Amino acid sequence: MNPPLIWLHEEALRTTHPVFLSAPAGSRSIFIWDDGYFQKLDYSFKRLVFIYESLCELPVDIVHGDIISVIKEIAPSQLYVPASNKPHLLSMMNNLKSIANLHIIQDDDFVTIPTTTDLRRFFKYWTAAEKTAFRKNGDRDA
Amino acid sequence: MQELQKKFENRDALVAHLKALAPWAEGERSYIQGGRQKAEMKLANIDPVGYAETRNFGDGKITRLSPYIHHGILSLNEVRNDTLTKCGHPAEITKFMQELGWRDFWQRALHAHPDWAWTDIEAYKTGFTADDYADQLPHDLVEGKTGVGCIDAFIKELLHTGYIHNHARMYIASYVVHFRRIKWQVGARWFLKHLLDGDLASNNLSWQWVASTFSHKPYIFNLENVHKYFGKLVDTSPSANHPLDATYEELHSRLFPNIRSQL
Repeated sequence: MNPPLIWLHEEALRTTHPVFLSAPAGSRSIFIWDDGYFQKLDYSFKRLVFIYESLCELPVDIVHGDIISVIKEIAPSQLYVPASNKPHLLSMMNNLKSIANLHIIQDDDFVTIPTTTDLRRFFKYWTAAEKTAFRKNGDRDA
Repeated sequence: MQELQKKFENRDALVAHLKALAPWAEGERSYIQGGRQKAEMKLANIDPVGYAETRNFGDGKITRLSPYIHHGILSLNEVRNDTLTKCGHPAEITKFMQELGWRDFWQRALHAHPDWAWTDIEAYKTGFTADDYADQLPHDLVEGKTGVGCIDAFIKELLHTGYIHNHARMYIASYVVHFRRIKWQVGARWFLKHLLDGDLASNNLSWQWVASTFSHKPYIFNLENVHKYFGKLVDTSPSANHPLDATYEELHSRLFPNIRSQL
């Protein structure tokens, strides 16, 4: 059985992301440089340089290829991925469920708010959020 | 499966490598550099108290952390925790925390309502329907050659650096949607291409806020406002900015002729 894999995408370019704590020690970490994916997003050259520079500082391999094909080829026993709101990434994560045992890892919350909070206007969010916004780790440690 | 190079002699070498790797990508590099080291340097230099007093000004003490936060190089939690170690009283940093809160708010809103990314959340409150707005971005906007001095300066900064002040983003968005009557989605897509911090939630929901499809009324601005906040940085002479040189009442009548002024 192949070892677990961390697939890092462009919204989680740091080693303090909880995905690194969630995956077993010794898991390989990769970023897949997917031309088709970036072309779909229509990123300018500026954005690509910024992403690449950030990657160069990280202990991850940058692999050139199609995201789904690369992960299929590696065939990890477990796949750890940082959560995202981006439809392109969500769609790929959905496809990957049939290829590997997928673990989508949320980033640390900024605040703790009730799930019923009205998100149609900022003021209503902030009334709930300010209770923990000024506390270290959003009061998660309390 | 090819592994790509990660060590380069200098930034020029990295850029040359990337030019060969992504010949299809438009434009050139920004002066803003990626990476955790740069992010931590910026974080060390933020002034949350000064931010509260000057954030709306083009030369105000804004943090420029957003490209690093969008790409997860820094988390909101890390920025907040760092800020708490520097500032004593919560009242001094409320505006700064709210700014972090705005990003969290946009993310949560989009997570709860994924369709809000590209569809109108509410109807336009401009006296027009969505069909009255154009589907294409004209060339003069794409190139920053609208003939409106301050708008052209902001667009050129966006194209060259991938970063502009939030207030300038609102001016451009308002100009695109309300002065040129173009769908907010068109402008949002254009910003996502160029902004180093281009984030579907923050960007698109902010465009909806300006357009009035996610707010009570359309956001508009006039030349006096630009002069107050950016007068030292861009040309705000009336002769170079004729369409903006008006009172809010005049602009409201001109831009939204189908509704009575609510000023």
